[in-house]
Parts: sequence; structure tokens; C-alpha cells
Amino acid sequence: MTPVLEFEGIAKNYRTHLSLRKYWILRDLSLAVNQGEVFGFIGTNGAGKTTTIKVALGLTFPDAGRVRLFGEDARQPALRRRIGFLPENPYFYDYLTGSEFLDFHARLFGMPAADRHRRVAAMLERVGLGNRGDRQLRHYSKGMLQRIGLAQALINDPELVILDEPMSGLDPIGRREVRDIILDLKARGRTVFFSTHILSDTEMICDRVGMLVRGSLAALGTIDDLVGREVPFWEVTLRGLEGDGLPCGEIVSRRRDEVLVRVESENDLKRLLALCNGRGPGLVAVTPARRSLEDLFLRETRRAGAPQENKP
Amino acid sequence: MTARIAAIALNTFREAIRHRILYLLLVFAVGMISVSQVLSLLTVGSEEKIIKDFGLAAIEVFGVLTGVFIGVGLVSREIERRTVFTLLAKPIHRFEFVLGKFAGLALTIVVNTAVMAAWFAVVLAVRGMFDPRLGLAVLLLLFQCLLVTTLAVLFSCLSTPILSSVMTLALYVVGHLLWSLDLLQARLASPLAKTACRVVYYLLPNLGNFDIKGEVVHGLPIDPWLPVWAAIYLIFYGSAVLAAACAAFQRKELQ
Amino acid sequence: MSGGKGPRRLLLLAGGGALLLAVLVQGAIETRAAARPETSPLLYLPSGRYLDVAAIGFDGLLADLIYIWSIQYYGHYDIADRYAHLDHIYRRVIAELDPHFIDPYLIGALIMNVEAKDPEMALRLLDTGIANNPGRWVLAFEAGFICYQDLRDYDRAAVYFEKALAAPDVHPLVRRLRAAMVDKSGDPRAALRLWIEIHDTSDDAYTRQVAWNHIHDLKVAVDLAELRLAIEAWRARHGAPPRRLAALVAGGFLGRMPADPEDRPYRYDPARGAVDYTGVPVVGR
Repeated sequence: MTPVLEFEGIAKNYRTHLSLRKYWILRDLSLAVNQGEVFGFIGTNGAGKTTTIKVALGLTFPDAGRVRLFGEDARQPALRRRIGFLPENPYFYDYLTGSEFLDFHARLFGMPAADRHRRVAAMLERVGLGNRGDRQLRHYSKGMLQRIGLAQALINDPELVILDEPMSGLDPIGRREVRDIILDLKARGRTVFFSTHILSDTEMICDRVGMLVRGSLAALGTIDDLVGREVPFWEVTLRGLEGDGLPCGEIVSRRRDEVLVRVESENDLKRLLALCNGRGPGLVAVTPARRSLEDLFLRETRRAGAPQENKP
Repeated sequence: MTARIAAIALNTFREAIRHRILYLLLVFAVGMISVSQVLSLLTVGSEEKIIKDFGLAAIEVFGVLTGVFIGVGLVSREIERRTVFTLLAKPIHRFEFVLGKFAGLALTIVVNTAVMAAWFAVVLAVRGMFDPRLGLAVLLLLFQCLLVTTLAVLFSCLSTPILSSVMTLALYVVGHLLWSLDLLQARLASPLAKTACRVVYYLLPNLGNFDIKGEVVHGLPIDPWLPVWAAIYLIFYGSAVLAAACAAFQRKELQ
Repeated sequence: MSGGKGPRRLLLLAGGGALLLAVLVQGAIETRAAARPETSPLLYLPSGRYLDVAAIGFDGLLADLIYIWSIQYYGHYDIADRYAHLDHIYRRVIAELDPHFIDPYLIGALIMNVEAKDPEMALRLLDTGIANNPGRWVLAFEAGFICYQDLRDYDRAAVYFEKALAAPDVHPLVRRLRAAMVDKSGDPRAALRLWIEIHDTSDDAYTRQVAWNHIHDLKVAVDLAELRLAIEAWRARHGAPPRRLAALVAGGFLGRMPADPEDRPYRYDPARGAVDYTGVPVVGR
């Protein structure tokens, strides 16, 4: 099965005006998105997520590597007939009404007039703007703009939907609605590729996740794979610990005379428990826990180097 | 392909029409009437020439200003405001975008000029000064304006609006002074310098081709083939400029 | 205090006050300026050939504006020494910017001739106009009229009127004036030929009448001159005037005997040898 979207060894750099040094935003990025999956592309602000998406859409040109859409060179404009795209913080022509805006985009697909009217009405309904189609976009709230943006991305019933930070700036209700739309698309067999820096968004809906750290993939796989592979750790609650001396583990929090200690390995756990024998602190609870995606992310980011200002 | 270009053109037209710079049309209308009424107080002799000079100059200036000031923002503003991203993610070629934007602005300018010309004709007709040859003069001024607009669009694909307006207006001025370049190359001694001069002369837009204001106002004879040649020059030179604009936009990185 | 209403009104008031003060200051500046002689930078414009470059295609309009300004300027009778740049403004600026703009030639010449009392300057201006616009007869006409009325140089006037005749739509008056100038410059034969031509080629009754009047008197003059010449020749030969005019023809001193316009013979006094016209001149010469 050919991947719907495939990046092969993508590298992208740029130079600031004043210096001759190249700054690499993307280094040797390779990943493939399969048909029918929801793929979460995560990274910090400035990691290169938006650049990656722009490379896929031909808005920016890579310095090395290739991008393929539906198995073919992504540079052909005709392939974009099967794609929908919503940029981050989108701006639209604010003097147009919602319907006019959608109609304009529909025209770019060459849809005949009757089809256009139907699709525009259907899309407005689907994103919950059914009765606001006649207001100018300049009067839309942020949430409404995001919704009309989604409508524009879906107007051609695309097989692949690319969303750049679709939940940014939305209230919980808005995020819920976007999530529902993504899940609905999956139910219809469409593929969704979206980027975000909010990890919890991915945990609920993504089939697979790719983690972009300093321009290349630090991790790729299902959430279960990524997090499950992690060594679980334990959280041990002790009472009456004297001083701060611990042979291993770190103190996460204190409450009255109880401390919560975290140990990473089974050996460390045994050592800590051994401490409690005899006249040591009392053992209140021992809880195994799994890392969250966040932990993985923080660790990978720290591993890639001291946090530098990644923003161009 | 034409459907996509047309869609962008219509959208651009709609946006341009709502642009505040079009209030210039109103200023033009009022100005024309005021000038024609007030002139009798200021001058001795026939007012007809002066009214016609004013009208043609105003049509030329307003047309060029509209073309330049909207033209330089045509592409750059879309990039700046990031409205271009959703457009280019559609199955559309980059050159279709540029041509569509230009077509929309061109349509706006044609409409503007027609409105001004119609009003001008009315003001003249009321005073019995109407001359159909003025229509020819206005047509050539329209050609000139469209040519200048292609230049504005080219710079819009290359640079910021401020820099682009300066460059485009500079080319407008230079385009009217090419006759001096011609004189210069006749006086130069070295054949290399002469050739360089001639090359520059042909590369720059020759806006003198579109200026028959003097002949029309003074009732002097006009070569009947001139408008045809001027139109052909517009088509070729304008296409060259637009092709350059499309080429510039083709490889433009959209950050 | 509610919102921004208070401060806003204060600001508008202050702004209005400042504007008022600015207006008063402007008035004061103008009063001071009036004490000094009026100088306008437009007097020192470069020649039209250089302005042409700056005008980038709007030379017609620029000529209009400078012309309008010049009318206001030369209408200010209280400006002393305002004719110092008259020639420059009209001949070297406006005419170079727009050589086909006719009004400035005429008005400029008027100002130069009547107000600045310099008809030669006016003629130089009109010469430029004629050279640039050979088809506009009014320019040569004006020039001819200045020669006739102010300079009383009838030869020159005749040359100008003849230039005017080159235009296809020339007013019939100009032909009559030319004939009159030729007459005044002392060539009645040529004048007679011209008047006859005018009479024969015009279909306007008035013109033919005027022509006829001149032809009448000119014929008398020409005839009398011819007769007197013949009498002198006779006197030179024979020592005394002939006893009858007919003798002049018989003696070969005259081709044929002219009759006066009323077809009567001219009166001859053989004692003095003086010949005369018995009728009444129509125009009077």
C-alpha cells in the first residue's frame, strides 16, 4: 500500500541576512503516513513542523530530499486536488462572507456552480456555521474562523487532510469539535496529518505519532509503542523520612510528613524498599506508573542538546 | 486553467473595488467640474485647451497611481498576511495566481478609466467642447497604465510595497524620458557605449508610445496606425514583464 | 469623568485654538510680505527645453499652469518692474513647453506691445508662434497689425498679412488689409492688382463693394501717375506740356488714353501741364 504522504531525507536550511552561517531547520527528515490513519506530528514551537508541512505543499522548497503524495512527486499541482490544508492562525480575505469565501475556494477546484452551492451549504452545516454564512469574515470570532478554515480544507472532500496546529487558541469546546471532525474523517476512511505542540491532543486520537526534535525525527510509532517501550517507574510514598538522604530516586513532592519518591529502575526500587526495613521510614504506598508522552518528549528534547532558541 | 485564473481575478477585482483608494474617482469628478467652472476666472482666451489638458492629466495620474499603489501590494500583501497559503495549497499553478491577480487589477483599472472618461466626456459635452479623438487619447493612456501595472506586479513579487512603489514610479518617470537616452546615444563616440545605451533604451518601457495628449488637444494629425502599434507593444512588453513576475514567484519561498 | 469624552473635547478645543493662532500668524506673515516687492520664483524658471524633461509628458498642462499664473501676475498693476522677464516667460518657457498653445502668443504679444510698450518684443514672440504654427493665421495677422498700427511699417505689415494668407481658413479681412498695406507702402499698381483680384474672387457682396471702392480710387491714382509721367516725358522732349492729352498717345508717350472710372476723360490744363480727376474720391487717399 503506497503511503499517502512520504518524506524522504528532507533537509532545509536558511541564512539570515547578516550572517553566512546556515541554520538547519530540518535535517534528514523521513517519515511515511499510511492511508486511513490519523498521524500526529509533535514538536516544540519552532521545531520545524510548519516548515515540514510547507515543504509537502510546495510552499517552500527543500534543500535535499523528496516528498511524495499518493506515491507521486508532490510538486505536481494536480495532486493537490485530493488534499485539504488548514494553516496555523489562518488569515482570510476578511471582506468576504463565509459563503463567498468557500465558494471562491470551490471554484479553484473547477466545481460547476450547482455543485458549489451544495458543497458550500453542506460544509457550513458540518462545521456548525450553518446560519452564519452571510456574515463577513471580519466579524467572525477566532473559533468561527478556525471552523470556516476547516470547511475550506474539506470542501473538496479530500483523501488527505493536513492541519497545522488545528487546536491552537481554541477553548475546550472548540478543541472537542475539531477532535470530533478528525475522528469523523477517520471513520470515513480519510487520512489526517496534523501538527501540534499540545501532546494531550494526540493521545486521544492519533494512531501514530512522530516527534520532531531539532529538525529530525526523534521518535516515530504508535503511542503504545513509544510509551510502552519505556521502562515503567514507580512512585513510592514514604512516611517519616529523616533528612533528605536517599540512596536513589528523587523526591517529587512532600505533604506533611509524607514524601513521594520516584525511582526509575527495579534495582533502585529494591534499594529504596530495603531502606524501609528496620527503623527506616514507613512505607505508605508503591505505585507503578507509565510515562506519558510528555515525559518522553521532554527527555528527547533534553537529549538533543541544551534547549536553544530554535526559532529562526 | 482559465477558470482558476478567472476566480482569482474576480476576487481581486472585488477587493480592489472596495479599496479606499478608489475614492480618487470621486475626487476626479469633483475636480473636473471645479476646474472647468473656475477656469474662466483665471485665464484669458480659450479654456477648452486647459480643461482638456487637466482632464487627460488627471485620468493618467489617477490611473497610474491606482495601478501602482494597489499593484505593489497585490502579491506581497497576500504573502505578508498569509492568505496566500490556503490558495497555493489548491491544485493551482503559481503562475495562475499571479496572472489572476493582475487580471483582477487590470479589470479594476479599465472600469475606473471608463468611469472617469465618461464623466470627462459629459463635462465637455455640456460646454460643447467634446472631441471623439479624446477617446483615443484615453485609450492609449489606459494602455500605458496597464503597462505600468505589470511592472508594479513584478516588483510585488520581488520586494516590499514601499520599495516597489518607488521603483515602479521611477520607471514611470524614466519611461517618459527615453527620448533623452536616444539623444545621448547619438552623441556618444565609443561604439560599445552606444550599444550599451541602445540596449538599455530597448529594455526600459517606452511610455512615450502612449502619449498623444498634445496632438489630440491641439487638433494635430495622428498616425492612424499608432494605437495599433501601441497595443502590440503593450501586449509584448507586458507579457515579458508578467512572465518575469511569474518566474520570480515560481521559486519564491513562502515563510 | 466619563470615559474619553472630557479629554477628547479638550484636545479638539486645543487643536482648534492652535489652528486659529496659525491662521493669525499667516496673516501677519502676509502683511509683512506685502511690504516687500513681489518676487515669484516662477520668474526664474529655466528655459522650456529643460522644463520639458521635468514635465514627463505633462508639458501641455505645465504650460497651461504657467500661463494661468502669468495672467494673474501681469494683472497685478502694483508690481513695479514686472516686465523684466516677460520675454523669457512667454517666448522661452511657455512656447518651448507647448509650441502649439496659441493664447499665450496672442496675450503675451498684447502685454508686450500695449503695456510694456515694446512692439519689437511682441513681434519676436509672434514670429516664434508663426514658425511653430504656420496654419494659424491669427498670429501673423496680429503681427501685421502691430506693424501697421504701432510701427507704421507698412512693408513689414504687408509681409505678415501675406504669411497669414497661407492658411486655408483665413478671414477675408486679412486680404483686404494686405492690399491696403501694399497701397500704403507706396505701390499703387500692385495694390490695384490685389484689389482687382479680391473683387474678382470673393463671393461676398460687402467685400466686393469695398474692393470696388479701392479700385476706383486706385485706378485714378494709377492713371494720373501714368499721365503725369507721359506729360513729363513730353515736356522734356518738347520743352512745354502738350496742348491736348491725345497728343501723348499720337506721339507714342502713352499707350492708350485712360478714361476715369466714370468713363469720362481726365481734366487737363495745358497751361500748367496739370492733369486732374474731376470726380469725387470714394475712399480718399
